[in-house]
Amino acid sequence: MAVAAAASKADGQLDRRALGRALSRIANTSVEEALDGMRETAGGASRIGITGPPGAGKSTLIGRLARQRLDSGAAVAVVAIDPTSPHTHGAILGDRIRMDGVADDPRLFIRSLASRGANDGLADNIADVLATLDGYPFDEVILETVGVGQAEYAVRALVDTLVLVLIPESGDQVQAMKAGTLEMADIYVVNKADLPGAERIASEIRAVARLRRRLTSDWEPPVIMTAADRPDDIAALHDAISRHLAFARASRNIDEVRRLRREYHVKSLLMRTVTDILAENPRAVDCSPREAFELVVARLRERRR
Amino acid sequence: MSTLKGKRILIAKPGLDGHDIGAKIIALALRDAGAEVIYTGLRKTPGFIARVAVDEDVDAVGLSLLSGSHKELVAETMQELRSLDASDIPVFVGGTIPAEDRAALTEAGVIGIFTAEMRLDDVVAEVARVLVPVRAA
Repeated sequence: MAVAAAASKADGQLDRRALGRALSRIANTSVEEALDGMRETAGGASRIGITGPPGAGKSTLIGRLARQRLDSGAAVAVVAIDPTSPHTHGAILGDRIRMDGVADDPRLFIRSLASRGANDGLADNIADVLATLDGYPFDEVILETVGVGQAEYAVRALVDTLVLVLIPESGDQVQAMKAGTLEMADIYVVNKADLPGAERIASEIRAVARLRRRLTSDWEPPVIMTAADRPDDIAALHDAISRHLAFARASRNIDEVRRLRREYHVKSLLMRTVTDILAENPRAVDCSPREAFELVVARLRERRR
Repeated sequence: MSTLKGKRILIAKPGLDGHDIGAKIIALALRDAGAEVIYTGLRKTPGFIARVAVDEDVDAVGLSLLSGSHKELVAETMQELRSLDASDIPVFVGGTIPAEDRAALTEAGVIGIFTAEMRLDDVVAEVARVLVPVRAA
């Protein structure tokens, strides 16, 4: 595994101060700087994405899961994203507080990020944040997205294993999600499975999973029922993740993975630039859509000169 | 508006008192001023708070203290920050801090002391004064 020279202190301990600062620098990077410093984004730590609607229990589940993976000997980092207010630009980064039990564990490195300009369930510069973590001695990075809906599945490109967390109340959503987020996951979790309706939603998801296997891949996504205080459930999720990481390592085409990650990276930088241009030219959309489009394209060209 | 945009602030509750409404009100006020606010939850040790401040690389730490043990807990937290090479992170203190203790806290390196009588706007303005460099006209 690649480990940057500055990543560890002389005694082999993780230099948390250096890592903390490096991640701030990356998170605050402008589009221009990001383009010049674009890093390779595959080949470091295994990446586990945890996504799902708001209130599904992602953070709590990650807390339990991280402990299990730490206990199995893996060096784990968690990156947790919360939404930024588009009005004030402020954010409450509250995921850490729900990772009770493990948040106090000094073996675990947790970084909270605000989504800032990103509206795809991730955060500005997330590709570079993950690439930066590849330079530190982590075996695994768990990435928690913002609470998402049917279509925010950009995380798919950035992780090796994607876990979609649903709850019994998501029942009607499963029908609606058949296209989109639901098609992207490698592992499904029905969390809060002690609530009524859990078995029904699990069987609906199983039908989607079987269909997916027929259509696309050798991997049939398992459906795991969890309640955060049932240790056996967390162990089952832990095992499913390990199995899928091994499957992904054995079956993936690394060049294709890299290509998809670069594509996401370039797209997100372009989106940010276009958003900035529109914010700087609020009158642009007063004219026809075509004129507004031409204005943005012209401004994009000017930037790259 | 958004005077604290892009600033990361940790609001932490060291010690054993069980009331965090004040900490939460401050967290929301800072958020509404554009800051990205991390809240630790109740009853955290100074060592834990310092480690979170370092991992999250925050621009400031706000300690909310209602227990009366502020002198000890503030000193320990600052000591833990020093031991993690993070004594440059400014520390604010809020809560029930008697007037006669304030000089000692300032002496210990605390950047600002906020009490319940203060208006939220003034608290935010004071944090901004420390964290946001004044732009030359």
